[in-house]
Amino acid sequence: MDTAFRKIDIDVYDEDVLQEEELFDADPREPAQVLSDAKQRQVAVRSALAKSDVLGALNIVLENAPYGPNVEEAKTVNLSTLLNILNTTKSADIPNVIKGLSQDGQDTLMKYLYKGMALPGGGDINWSILLGWHEKLTEVAGTGCIVRTMTDRRTV
Amino acid sequence: MILLEPHNVIIQTTLSEKITKPASVDVQFVDYDGVRFHLSTPERKSVLLLSMHIRCWDELVQYGAIDVLRREYGALLQPQPEPEYSVSLEIDLEQLPASPEDRDAFVMSIALFKRNALAAPFEHAFASQKGLESAATGSGELMQIHYRDEEAIYIQASHDRVTVIFSTVFRDETDRIYGKVFLQEFVDARRQPSIQNAPQVLYSNRDPPLEIRHLPDLRNTEDTGYVTFVLFPRHFGNATVASGTISHIQLFRDYLHYHIKCSKAYMHSRMRHRVAEFQKVLNRAKTEVATGEKKTVSGRTLVTR
Amino acid sequence: MSNVLRPYLAAVRSTLTAALTLENFSSQVVERHNKPEVEVGGSKEVLLTPLTISRNENERVLIEPSVNSIRLSIKIKQADEIERILCHKFTRFMMQRAENFIVLRRKPVQGYDISFLITNTHSETMLKHKIVDFIIQFMEDVDREISEMKLSLNARARIVAESYLTAFNS
Repeated sequence: MDTAFRKIDIDVYDEDVLQEEELFDADPREPAQVLSDAKQRQVAVRSALAKSDVLGALNIVLENAPYGPNVEEAKTVNLSTLLNILNTTKSADIPNVIKGLSQDGQDTLMKYLYKGMALPGGGDINWSILLGWHEKLTEVAGTGCIVRTMTDRRTV
Repeated sequence: MILLEPHNVIIQTTLSEKITKPASVDVQFVDYDGVRFHLSTPERKSVLLLSMHIRCWDELVQYGAIDVLRREYGALLQPQPEPEYSVSLEIDLEQLPASPEDRDAFVMSIALFKRNALAAPFEHAFASQKGLESAATGSGELMQIHYRDEEAIYIQASHDRVTVIFSTVFRDETDRIYGKVFLQEFVDARRQPSIQNAPQVLYSNRDPPLEIRHLPDLRNTEDTGYVTFVLFPRHFGNATVASGTISHIQLFRDYLHYHIKCSKAYMHSRMRHRVAEFQKVLNRAKTEVATGEKKTVSGRTLVTR
Repeated sequence: MSNVLRPYLAAVRSTLTAALTLENFSSQVVERHNKPEVEVGGSKEVLLTPLTISRNENERVLIEPSVNSIRLSIKIKQADEIERILCHKFTRFMMQRAENFIVLRRKPVQGYDISFLITNTHSETMLKHKIVDFIIQFMEDVDREISEMKLSLNARARIVAESYLTAFNS
């Protein structure tokens, strides 16, 4: 007897089942536009960093961060821009910079910290810097910030 | 007890016991490397027959084991061994040395039965080194003793040294890694000034050393290693030193494996301890369950069924 | 070394504390089932974003939260062959005793050496901060234990080799 029917995932045909894209509101921008935005921001961040305006640079990169599917390239660009900021910031400045961020900014920063740590390594990733930022950010923003990172479906 | 003893304790104790109080006996026991012994009194209580089965007996005979055993045991050596065994000794308890010291020495020499049988190729090599010394060149016959199913000892004399090579096979992955650590230490230990006079030790994993590279039946797998001991004339210059060296080097493999097993046992007890500690930490997390007698108003104990 | 270890453990501690907000949750796929959702993986809406905390490429922790359970997997430092085998032995030894360590998973998640599964039952019957303490203490001690075992193996090997070779002198 053919038993292949047992392996069929019938839940897919269920109309009530929750789809991945229903979990959060999609980014209204087109993927191509998101990417060009990310690249423009990279330039803006560089000029902000040249003026040693770390807070300004962070605000630029954390504002409207790319999320959701189909924008992998923009995500990578944004992450490397952010890592660049993190790596160049003096550790003494970190607490003040974090305090200057809005709550949304802090949450997005936390998301990026976890994303950076999840990568297999290489490139700009310096784990001790990421861990240092994570510690300072948790001190300022509290555990709630981590909970929001966990629960927010808009992964960066 | 770091070093192993070359004699067989069962032979020693059983024999001493039977000397004081002769009785019929029939025991079978084993020694390292799958050597089997059978100690029995086939005819009468005062005559003991000790037989030994050794895997590489044919090779040992080729290198003069019979002569060595005849030298050690003289008339005790039986011309015809017991069936299924390689060699037999007959010990007449009524014809023993009189003084207690001599008796102990006699018992000890019987207990060294296996050691003496295995000593033959070493003595052969030491002798041929002496012969080659005057020539100052050349090397003697390469002797192979397959003392275990997959492992062998190779002995070769040359004009200034005797090379002893052990092939080792580690069945278990853990043994292999532990063994590597141990063997590396054997190689490194000679840097200590106090043991500069010890034989030189070389260790190679997988690749057989030059001396035996031409042999056909070598295994070239990751779990095989070769340990080479280079014995110089100072290690076998006089008879006492030579016999000490032989007893000692024979037991190399057993010694190594014994300590690998000891390490594993130690690690295990350590892990047991550490895991018990973790358990305590986790138990601290458990909330106290209220256990205590519950009483009713009238003073009776409440029992849950 | 310890100043790199400290922020790492601090990050694990805060993330784990954040993730330990569990509640009882019956399966919404199968009637009368109540299973750790992180293991079942059947309903997307109850699984949260998995978070990774790394100290370097060989040492990292993966925390996978869900509504009623979290799974925490640890990758332990293994610098060489000896540490690898010791680590394997140690974690295996612990996982064989998983019923005593109620939060321990019998098998590690792929790519990690040891995994813990904490469900809402555990967080209800045990003190949450003490569970976190346990995990942190485990992470601290396991590294130390493995390096101590390695040292003791080397020390024993040295003594064994020396006493064997010394015997040739006599």
